[in-house]
Amino acid sequence: MEEKKHTSSHYEMELQEIKDNLIYLGAMTENAIRVAMKSLTERDTDMAIKVITNDYEIDKMDKEIEEKCIKLLALRQPTAIDLRFITTSIKVTGHLERIGDMAVNIAEKVVQLNEEPKLKPYIDLPHMSSIVETMVTKSLDAMIKKDLQLAEEVRQIEQEVDDLNEQIFRELLTFMMEDSKSIHRALLIMHVSKNLERMADHAQGIADMVTYMITGESVRHLSKDIK
Amino acid sequence: MKRSLFYKILFSYLVIICVSFFLLDIFMRDEVKKVLTSRIENELLSSAKLIDMTFSGKAAGQVKHIAEISDSRITLINASGKVFADSEKDVRLLENHFNRPEVQEARLRGTGQSVRYSESLGIDMLYVAVAVRDGKDITGYIRMARPLHEVQSIIDKVYQYILLTILIVAIIALGIALFFSYRLYEPINTMKQFTEKLRRGEPVGSIILGTSDETRTLADNINYLVEELKDKIRVAHEEKSKMMTAFTNMNEGILIMNDKGLIEFSSPVLSNMLAMQYDDVIGKTLMEAFRNIDLQKAFLEFKEKRVNVSREIVFGDLEKVILSISISAVHGYPDEEKTMIVFHDVTRLKKLEQVRMDFVANVTHEIRTPLTAIIGYLETIQSGAINDREETKKFIDIILKQAERLNRLVEDLLTISNIEMKQAVLHFESVSLNQAVSNMISLITTKANLKRITVHNNVSDNFPLIKADRDRLTQIFVNILDNAVKFTPDGGEVVITATESESYAVVSIQDSGIGVPKDEIGRLGERFYRVDKSRSRDLGGTGLGLSIVKHLMIAHGGRMEIESQLGKGTKISLFFPVT
Repeated sequence: MEEKKHTSSHYEMELQEIKDNLIYLGAMTENAIRVAMKSLTERDTDMAIKVITNDYEIDKMDKEIEEKCIKLLALRQPTAIDLRFITTSIKVTGHLERIGDMAVNIAEKVVQLNEEPKLKPYIDLPHMSSIVETMVTKSLDAMIKKDLQLAEEVRQIEQEVDDLNEQIFRELLTFMMEDSKSIHRALLIMHVSKNLERMADHAQGIADMVTYMITGESVRHLSKDIK
Repeated sequence: MKRSLFYKILFSYLVIICVSFFLLDIFMRDEVKKVLTSRIENELLSSAKLIDMTFSGKAAGQVKHIAEISDSRITLINASGKVFADSEKDVRLLENHFNRPEVQEARLRGTGQSVRYSESLGIDMLYVAVAVRDGKDITGYIRMARPLHEVQSIIDKVYQYILLTILIVAIIALGIALFFSYRLYEPINTMKQFTEKLRRGEPVGSIILGTSDETRTLADNINYLVEELKDKIRVAHEEKSKMMTAFTNMNEGILIMNDKGLIEFSSPVLSNMLAMQYDDVIGKTLMEAFRNIDLQKAFLEFKEKRVNVSREIVFGDLEKVILSISISAVHGYPDEEKTMIVFHDVTRLKKLEQVRMDFVANVTHEIRTPLTAIIGYLETIQSGAINDREETKKFIDIILKQAERLNRLVEDLLTISNIEMKQAVLHFESVSLNQAVSNMISLITTKANLKRITVHNNVSDNFPLIKADRDRLTQIFVNILDNAVKFTPDGGEVVITATESESYAVVSIQDSGIGVPKDEIGRLGERFYRVDKSRSRDLGGTGLGLSIVKHLMIAHGGRMEIESQLGKGTKISLFFPVT
């Protein structure tokens, strides 16, 4: 009895550790988005380079979580919600890692943008990035708290990001038509916007996985089919 | 409980009684039997020898008589074993006795004995036989027999007495057991009830016992322990409340985590510090509760190195809270080491530090810029340009302009420091807002016209008079309108409105300018703070305008509020108190 209790509490601790690491990874990616966007609005190349160099930490954590999940699967044979939690974790960590990579993409574009004069004041992009950050935070929150409502909210916000991306695209198009010298910069900014939009997709992916984890029903790709 | 103690005592007594009886039985029963049997045997033998001597086997007819005297059965047997006389049975019915063990023994040794169960009589019989000799030859045997029921009855009698004794002893034992069990039970029961009450946490006094044996000592010990325990609990309570008072009243927030890294205690100060940005944190891990990478890093470092870790960590996204944390171990039981994190809010400190540093940097920068120009032109004049009257005049104009700028800067600084140190004296009078605003607009029109900016005065004519210092009011409006025109693109507009609320007259100046990022609004009142450093300096200005407005509004007993949206414009609201 004592031994059993001990093992089960050890198991709980291992699960908790994965949870902690996921939050940690989530916080790191959120931070990467924030810093990358700040480097864009403040035209701070050093900050952008910091995002690029710090990406290895995100990759490392991603690998670590995946290894821990696989080890737990192999050694403990979890069932039901625990099993879904672990399989979900493996997928979520992948999503987060991709979001981190996109922050790096943005940072790379920022480095190029900063070499040229400012095209226009950024208004929609910071707004978009703050929405994306919220999506990442909420989807992770939903996972940790096992909250379906939050996951649903994330799916609803996603549309806003898509709309903003469209709007930015049109705006940049006018810039390019007016002045051919702005094309390079406009394209770079478009990249940033596109990356943010992809991040939102990944955040939605996390939310879908969380819904699967809680209910056991797959909601992936459903919303896309309706469109 | 009482029963069990009583039974234990009684049972042990009974065991002792039974064992002693059993031992008595083992030792006595055989011994008594042996002694009695041998005595009867000797008696019979001597009688048999007597018969042999007096009758020499011829007095067969007298066996009955002799049997009566010797209280036994007498059988006369000849050398071949044939019975020729018996005191109790018909000789003809008896078989040959030669093979009887007692006869065989007598044939060999002269005398013989045997105990047998007699079929004919149904009891144990002792048979004794003596060989009758004529010279060397055996002529016959005399056998005598006596039943052994006598021996049995004696033994039975003895046992009867023994059993009676046991019964008496058992009854006495029962009494003693009752007595002792009661004597033991009473104090033990008292102590038992006492300790049970204590365990349930009911208020208890102390045990008072009428006994004077070991139970008394035990009771005294319990009383002592209870007192000790009460003391300890009281001290612990006191320590706890002291601790809680300290935790709730000190400026630092406290967080305690157990050995598994789960949060066990979080002081209310901490939640205030973080403005309740976090959900209930008890039972969560640090990462779950705060989601802060730096905090987790510091915690992991502490776990790894086992030394106190101090760090400055930024919490919150929009409203940044800078906390200086210190992680240390709380040593409790082995393997159960807890961790305590002390949070100290250094946001204000850091902000002040930043403001101070910015101020020094800004002042030197602002002063140096005109000075550099002045010195540069003066040097040019000195190195020969003085001879060129035209050029020199131009240079001197620039120098004057820069000196004026310097003067304006110093004046502004002086104004601020005067207001801040509350040395400025305000001369309050009733002022018509509509008129004041119109006057101000006329001052700014030239500048506005250059940029095709229209300035609307939407303050109604009959807006109530406000109490203000006329000169200061001018200063306030000039600063704000100057900013509004400066940061509004060509063709924009500036609208001035006034509304009345319960205790304030609110004047709002709304422009259609470039706006201010949300997270910088809070810093606008700071001295020399500029949102876009390069641009606003080009537009002239000392960087002290809004700071002066802010302080003047405070001096008026009101306040300034700024709302802004990037790209849409800024709205500055001035709250004048209504008396």
